[in-house]
Amino acid sequence: MKKTLALFTALTLATSLFAVEIGKPAPDFTGTDINGKTVKLSDYKGKIVVIESYNSDCPFCHNQYASGAAQDLQKDLAAKGVVWLLVNSVSAKNFSHRTPEQAQKEWADLKINATAWIDDTSGTIGHLYEMKTTPHVFVIATDGTLVYDGAMDDRPQPFGDPHTAKNYVRAAVDDLLAGKPVEIPQTKPYGCAVHYAN
Amino acid sequence: MRLISIALAVAGSLVMLAGQTLPAQPAGLGGLPTFSAPATHHTQVKLVLSADSAKPGDTIYAGVDLKMDAGWHTYWKNSGDAGSPTTIKWQLPPGITAGDIQWPLPQKLPPIEVTTYGYEGETMLLVPLTIGTNFSAGQADIKATVGWLECMDVCIPANQDVEAKLEVGTETKPSAEAAAIQSWQARVPSAINLAGGIPYADSAWWEKSTNDNTRPLIIDMKQLGNIAASVPLDGADFFPDASDNFEVQPATEVIAAATSHIQLRKLVQKISGDWPKEISGVMVAGKGSPQGFTFKATISDNALDSSTAAMPAAGGTVASPAPTDGTPTLPLMLLYAFIGGLILNIMPCVLPVIALKILGFVSEAKSSPARVRALGGIYAIGVLFSFLVLAAVVIGVKAAGHEAGWGMQFGSPIFLVCLTTLVMLVALNLFGVFEVTLGGGALDKAGELASRHGPAGAFFNGVLATVLATPCTAPFLSIALGFAFAQSAPVILMVFLTVGLGLAAPYVLLSLNPVWLKFLPKPGAWMEKFKIAMGFPMLATVVWLFNVAGSSYGKNVLWLGVFLVIVAFAAWIFGEFVQRGQSKTVAAIVVLFLLAGGYAFALEKELDWRAPIAETEAAGSLKESADGIDWQRWSPEAVAAAQAAGKVVLVDFTADWCLTCQVNKKTSIEISSVRDKLKSLGAVALTGDYTHFPAAITTELQQFNRAGVPLVLVYPKNAGTPPLVLPEVLTPGTVLDALDRAAK
Repeated sequence: MKKTLALFTALTLATSLFAVEIGKPAPDFTGTDINGKTVKLSDYKGKIVVIESYNSDCPFCHNQYASGAAQDLQKDLAAKGVVWLLVNSVSAKNFSHRTPEQAQKEWADLKINATAWIDDTSGTIGHLYEMKTTPHVFVIATDGTLVYDGAMDDRPQPFGDPHTAKNYVRAAVDDLLAGKPVEIPQTKPYGCAVHYAN
Repeated sequence: MRLISIALAVAGSLVMLAGQTLPAQPAGLGGLPTFSAPATHHTQVKLVLSADSAKPGDTIYAGVDLKMDAGWHTYWKNSGDAGSPTTIKWQLPPGITAGDIQWPLPQKLPPIEVTTYGYEGETMLLVPLTIGTNFSAGQADIKATVGWLECMDVCIPANQDVEAKLEVGTETKPSAEAAAIQSWQARVPSAINLAGGIPYADSAWWEKSTNDNTRPLIIDMKQLGNIAASVPLDGADFFPDASDNFEVQPATEVIAAATSHIQLRKLVQKISGDWPKEISGVMVAGKGSPQGFTFKATISDNALDSSTAAMPAAGGTVASPAPTDGTPTLPLMLLYAFIGGLILNIMPCVLPVIALKILGFVSEAKSSPARVRALGGIYAIGVLFSFLVLAAVVIGVKAAGHEAGWGMQFGSPIFLVCLTTLVMLVALNLFGVFEVTLGGGALDKAGELASRHGPAGAFFNGVLATVLATPCTAPFLSIALGFAFAQSAPVILMVFLTVGLGLAAPYVLLSLNPVWLKFLPKPGAWMEKFKIAMGFPMLATVVWLFNVAGSSYGKNVLWLGVFLVIVAFAAWIFGEFVQRGQSKTVAAIVVLFLLAGGYAFALEKELDWRAPIAETEAAGSLKESADGIDWQRWSPEAVAAAQAAGKVVLVDFTADWCLTCQVNKKTSIEISSVRDKLKSLGAVALTGDYTHFPAAITTELQQFNRAGVPLVLVYPKNAGTPPLVLPEVLTPGTVLDALDRAAK
């Protein structure tokens, strides 16, 4: 067990050096959303894409949605043509796992304004992007390069109103749309651990 | 059942969260209005005090006791990749002030890809409370709001008000909980126990420069002395303090873990801004019941490779016994460097040069004081110039990512051949075989000591003294150099120049006070005899250098001897016929012919002096003893051949000067269990000798991202599969385990 873990660390360390890196092409992936539709990252080439590691049972993530801050941001960005993908990598064995039906209900209840919710029960996309926490967000430029990797905002708390915080995703998208380099390309993600299957 | 109760708990807390509209709080969880739903929490919180009653002016301890249900945990001050630290917001009567939280040593919590630091079971966060001297007697209500995040399969944020009563009066009376508080205090990381007053040095350095966002950092805690520590330092780990701009990744590679020395490799990921200049956290040691020790050090750039840094001679950044003081005491190291340089003067390697100096002083004793002073100064400049060159080489080698060491040039056979030849020429010069003159036209002065001890001679003496000094270390010198090699370029330069000042100091002082020279005998005919006598220590130096070169060339070193004789013969012809004779042109041609022929024949053809033995020696067993491991010489082809034959391959890259390699071999490779394992697997053992830096091995090391040895590899038996790279410090278990895995 220990050895497997050590090997796994070595692998993740290795991928962390090569897989996701600011300024490099964001690795492509194909997933299935909660409506059974196939979602392929490279299909969105030409658009700005936001990827969010999502688990609404995590207080940090939940607060973004309970306060409406995440939905408001998703709506604002959608108006600017930005794609927002939720990636839920919670293991099927975990209490926080959502079946597609549960997920569809949650999507409607929380009035989520994202483009798609990708069911990543296997953890493939989560591991590919080295998602550490929920929420852990990534912003990909129109040419497919990764321009932001880190926290949702500068307020690592599970309470209060995230509207008042500096939102790094909004800042990165604004920089991209203004044709400027992203001022803050990387921050330390906060939140709960992603409850991976392995 | 469990799931349902968690579900209820989560639902309960989420509903409450969703229903609240709270203003942004800058102080984290603690600043929130209370919502008391203790029934849904998985953590029991209570506040205890170390005293029932206390006097004004006392400092007592408050303990916030957190008892987590089985499977649940709360977080340390650095929660790690996820989570959130517990907060305490005090509401205290005026006059009582609370200090910072003292956190007991946490655990590293899985999963490994999202490692967090926290507590399972129970913990107690300790806070010193100071009662003001003019606090009026009576009962004081100590209140606080504790906020925490508790996690198992899900995370739940919670907070709770706690309170306790303290009687302030005329006496200090410990409470029933005082003992419990004390036992938790013992688990708060503190400065490491000093054994016999010997302080520990905390130091940290980047293993290499990088263009990447991840960079290996060496963290080193070393006792300055050899007294056994009071704590077993096994199972070492490092828990970093929280940081925003960088992240110390949780995986730890233990390079060394002994009672007097822990050295770890951690990967640091840069998130924004520059690489950190300082690292702090907790060094964790001891399996079973680990202990934590506060650690803080400034990070130096590009220090020595760990294989040499692990040598006991190298000193670390000296910390004063005060736990938080990690500043390097450069002045002390410079003092050591100076004393070391001074002592070098009487070390055997430099003695022959001293003789020359004495001679110089005798001959100059009658000169004007100004000239003596000038020559003393020039000698010092010669020494300092040489140290400048040495420092530049060391800095350059380090910048190129290689390891540098004091006297490393003696590992180069080319350097040895040149130096042996040079020192022999100095000896011949002292014997009077030929003269050293400058400017060609000074032949009439040949034989006069003055010409040799002019400015050029003084400068040359300075250079020679330094070159010969480098294979010697002296007391104090090793500590200063060990310190310097791990530092930045300006510090290296400073320490080297200070050693040079120490080496030159006696002569500079003598030349500044020529009066002292009056005690020396008067110049006279005896000087010529003395000069010749002094040639013999030089000759002894030649023999020593010749012997060192022998380790590079084996039996072929004979041809170096032949070359030396040819050069000596040429020197005699030069002195006798070019300098003092009539047919200068013919003699000069003969000299050139001898030198060119000697070089081409002896050095190039026979000795092959630029390709030392490590690559030319024939293959065959390199067994160290009759029943030892049947070592074969390493080559990439040998590895490929053995793998192709379906054999497990053990490769050990080692070097004579690599202490860690020797220790590894003694403790974990050349031992009966490993021998038996190799035999039973039919494995092939290959050894590569890096003593003389053969290029093939340098290339191989670079492939594994190593700047030097040790490097031990175990190749699985399937052709083409990459090897398992063993850690730098081995245990028999590591080696046996790797062999087993490779055989599968």
